[in-house]
Amino acid sequence: MWSYSKKLEYPVKIANPNPALAKVIVSQLGGPHGELGASMRYLSQRYSMPYDEVKAILTDIGTEELAHLEMVSAILHQLTRNMSIDEIKKAGYDTYFVDHTAGVYPQFASGTPFSAETFASTGDVIADLNEDLAAEQKARLSYDNLLRLIDDNDVRDPIKFLREREIVHYQRFGEGLRKVLDHLDSKNFYAFNPAFDKK
Amino acid sequence: MNNKEKALNLVRMYNFAMIEANLFLDSHPKDQQALEYFQRMKKMHEKAVREYTEKYGPLTASDVDASAKTWEWVKGPWPWEVDA
Repeated sequence: MWSYSKKLEYPVKIANPNPALAKVIVSQLGGPHGELGASMRYLSQRYSMPYDEVKAILTDIGTEELAHLEMVSAILHQLTRNMSIDEIKKAGYDTYFVDHTAGVYPQFASGTPFSAETFASTGDVIADLNEDLAAEQKARLSYDNLLRLIDDNDVRDPIKFLREREIVHYQRFGEGLRKVLDHLDSKNFYAFNPAFDKK
Repeated sequence: MNNKEKALNLVRMYNFAMIEANLFLDSHPKDQQALEYFQRMKKMHEKAVREYTEKYGPLTASDVDASAKTWEWVKGPWPWEVDA
């Protein structure tokens, strides 16, 4: 089970609200490479992982992603506080505002709501871990693109932290995949799926 | 039920009492009886966690034995497994 710690993993203090930035950053909450999908991906996959070290990696990274979900939500909340109707219209935030006001809702930057179609849990350890490696790179590139779009250092700072974590997670999943392969037949990694087939 | 399961159920029991008191206190933050109850359950919980982790290993990464030469956190069975 989980318990909540009343702090962000890394601080978020944004002096100047800016709904135009929230419009694109929301994708890292509920978009195709977002933190909600990341957490659900790893926490779902761990049940079919046969090896203890990799169960720990999936559990601990899945848990850290929940902390990142909270950080992205805090960024969105601070960027959209005290907005006037004029600012909402000028920023093009009106299409989000009409359904969510200044609430935090997981969706793609394009407006599609969060979907479990953004992640997989295949029950096949090689497929799952390769998905995880790709997912960390996709999240990294989305943070890179956000950094290309954002000048405000108050916003860039926590986003840089989140970007770095994607790189560390990629490294850990790479080690996880190597451990998994060590348990398999090097002549044919696909001869059997250790999460389903019996030796 | 074996001794490990008994020890874990004690942790669960006091933890659940804390969860219930926590929720009640969220909407009744000045209730003296609930405040006192939470603290009493917290002490019992700490004791139950200490007894469990000394014998059977960590429940959180912070519980990992400081003198252990290996990271006991990864050691199974994990909670969702039938032999946990």
